[in-house]
Amino acid sequence: MSWPGHFGWTLVRRPAGGLASLAAAFTLAALATGLIGGLLFLAAGAAPAQAFAALAKGAFGSWRAVSETLVKATPLIFTGLATALAFRARLWNIGAEGQVFAGAIVAYGCSLQLAGLSPWLQVPALLTAAMLGGALYGALAGLLKVLGRVDEVISTVMLNYIIVFGLSLLLLHGPWSEAGGFFEQSAKIDPGAALPKLVTGLRVHLGFVLALLMAVLVGFLIERTPLGFEIRAAGSNLRALAFQGARIGRLILVVMALSGALAGLAGASELLGVQQRLKAGTLVGYGYTGIIIAILGQLRPLGIVLAALLFGALVNGATLMQIQTGVPSALIYALQAIVLLAFLIARAATGWRLRRLAHAG
Amino acid sequence: MAGALVPRLAVSHLTKRFGQLLANDDISLSVLPGEIHCLLGENGAGKSTLSSCLFGLYRPDAGSVRVDGRPIELRSPADAIAAGIGMVHQHFVLVPAFTALENILVGTGRGWRLDLAAARRAVRALCARYDLALELDRPVAELSLGEQQWVEIVKALYLGARLLILDEPTALLTPVESAKLFRVIMRMAREDGLAILLITHKMAEVMRSDRVTVLRKGRLIGTAATAEVSRDQLVRMMVGRDLASPRSEPRTGPATPLLRLAEVSLRDADGRRHLDAVSFELAAGEILGVAGVAGNGQTELFETIAGLRRPSSGSIYLAGTRIDGEDPAGIAALGLGHVPNDRARDGLVPDFSIAENLLLGQQWQPPWRRGWLLNRPAIRQRAATCIAEFAVAASGPEALVRRLSGGNAQKVVLARELAKASRVLLCNQPTRGLDVGVIEHVQSELLRRRAAGCAILLASEELDDLFSLADRIMVMVGGRVVALVDRPATDLATVGRLMAGQAAA
Repeated sequence: MSWPGHFGWTLVRRPAGGLASLAAAFTLAALATGLIGGLLFLAAGAAPAQAFAALAKGAFGSWRAVSETLVKATPLIFTGLATALAFRARLWNIGAEGQVFAGAIVAYGCSLQLAGLSPWLQVPALLTAAMLGGALYGALAGLLKVLGRVDEVISTVMLNYIIVFGLSLLLLHGPWSEAGGFFEQSAKIDPGAALPKLVTGLRVHLGFVLALLMAVLVGFLIERTPLGFEIRAAGSNLRALAFQGARIGRLILVVMALSGALAGLAGASELLGVQQRLKAGTLVGYGYTGIIIAILGQLRPLGIVLAALLFGALVNGATLMQIQTGVPSALIYALQAIVLLAFLIARAATGWRLRRLAHAG
Repeated sequence: MAGALVPRLAVSHLTKRFGQLLANDDISLSVLPGEIHCLLGENGAGKSTLSSCLFGLYRPDAGSVRVDGRPIELRSPADAIAAGIGMVHQHFVLVPAFTALENILVGTGRGWRLDLAAARRAVRALCARYDLALELDRPVAELSLGEQQWVEIVKALYLGARLLILDEPTALLTPVESAKLFRVIMRMAREDGLAILLITHKMAEVMRSDRVTVLRKGRLIGTAATAEVSRDQLVRMMVGRDLASPRSEPRTGPATPLLRLAEVSLRDADGRRHLDAVSFELAAGEILGVAGVAGNGQTELFETIAGLRRPSSGSIYLAGTRIDGEDPAGIAALGLGHVPNDRARDGLVPDFSIAENLLLGQQWQPPWRRGWLLNRPAIRQRAATCIAEFAVAASGPEALVRRLSGGNAQKVVLARELAKASRVLLCNQPTRGLDVGVIEHVQSELLRRRAAGCAILLASEELDDLFSLADRIMVMVGGRVVALVDRPATDLATVGRLMAGQAAA
């Protein structure tokens, strides 16, 4: 494949999937982000070098800083994996956002029933409940697609709105609003339901280990199992898979449920590991950021973990950056978007290379 | 075509490289006025590259081109058109929403004013000259593929072409349309001195030309007067070796029916009838050829038998078991393989390796699955065996199917489906778009399976193929079986007439 050349040069498609071109794309994206981010910091009235240094220090400068980075990365690993699993099958599940809420809501509801029991019982039971909640909410969009041919992009976005506002309703006037409280939040969960901390004194909790475990499991599922085989086949040529007799409707339901279960774990991990209570607002955005994470991570578990760590570090480091240099920490969300755009552009650009034409006399 | 004629087109020592690849290596050929000159070669022989150079789409690295003795430089299609070269591409380049006349006029504007009336008169005259009944005011989207091709040809002539390059012109045409195309281009050449360069790999068409130039792997093998060479000689020049022409021997012994269709009809949701009371029996060790112009229900018939569509009435039996209403996986498990019509769309996963494509459909079955996991060593081992057995040109089981040539990709489909077809094999256009070498391979594979007792339903656009392979031939028109005859009891012309919807003579 080549474009007819002008001025003696031509663009030639590189063989896809090369590790070298991927590395080149990351390097280019990092340089571009540094440049544009630096200009943004400059515009915010800070010296770019100082701002980046504060950002790095805030993210990795101490054990506490590292712990906080991992805490911020944990839900993003879950939602990144959830999105990637569906995207690998070309199911555009934009609903991780709502499935996070579904997981947290079901886990909280169950925690009210199990309060007082042993943590050895409560924690696994509540994690399972969260997975079920996310799975059901994901499968609902799958069901709409299979039975009613509703495009999953539309249905998942709509379901996101429904559950986000539904939770607000529960917490504002509903039975779950904290007695005598003024905030849109529930009472604290039973201490026996909390996810154990990994290191005393630091906030990083069991959810992070679970997220890494899930990354490994998802990798195995996609690459090594018959189900993963069908997911990858569906992502490349659904018709050929259907011609071989695979049950496509069932596959869609299963993938949406698994994707929802992973997102549900993000909800449980935040509820039981960090917030200890349901609070509208604290769960917002993990699902949508998960889409960015999945794409940055090339829909592969290792890439997703790395991308989530990067985003966790950015969000976490931003606080110190604001304190030390006065750059508003909200700028970090602009920086996240720049990372993604720079990466996508670099990825497209490194897919081609310039070659000089041999010329006729 | 006396020797004294100045060639309409003279190409000398043309060379075109793409990176390492020598697509055209020192090619010289000439086309005389009034001559039909065939350019023959397998896929990748350099035919398309050469024609693209002649139409100014590529710039050659070396060599020269003369038209009517004058050297010309072809920098763009505009230069080619100005020099009197017209080209009809294999995939037409028409604006679907424009009428035929508008399409003919696109890009011909000289000055600001569009004199439709004068243009219409000129185009009408051209159509009348060659007895073409072209509806000039209908949008091209509503025209058949054959009519669209005439729009392309008339456009080239209207632009003043004195050399017409036709790239695989009959690939999309029915036999009747192809015959008409040949009648008319013969007249264009004989009566009006048009020079025609015809790119094709169909031997029947080559034999109707005046001279033929054969390319192989980018190199000129030779030019010959068609009357002085045999088909076999040409094939040898094209492929570089002798080809056995697979032919089925008459059957012997009693045959058990393996596939039986009784009054099978198929309507879609809009009430359109795709199959109309189709009934036939197919016996073990028999090849039943399905002849028909594309779109007359053949693909629907294959997909209905394979369980991909549910018949609205009638019944289908495979080795005595009723299978209509079963799902495709269940039917395949009874020993049925299906080579679909469009291998890229229906048969292969492009981002999968050869090994994974061979596994497709059997991913849950032992020994390919062990517990929760795929048994990758076994899958790879089987793939290596298949690659060797079918002579797939690839680096190994992990090679991506997306990178394979059409012939090698088809071998992968064939290997997978033959493995499943212990009883019945459905083959819908298994040789379309393949090189003669691969076609020979596919055909002898089908005959081997037939000898092993497989019942084969074979649809092909190439009637020659059906006649050399099939025991019986079934003609389909409009979803109905209009004839079902033993091969020795019929001939090409009769089947061609039946396909066109005319009663047998």
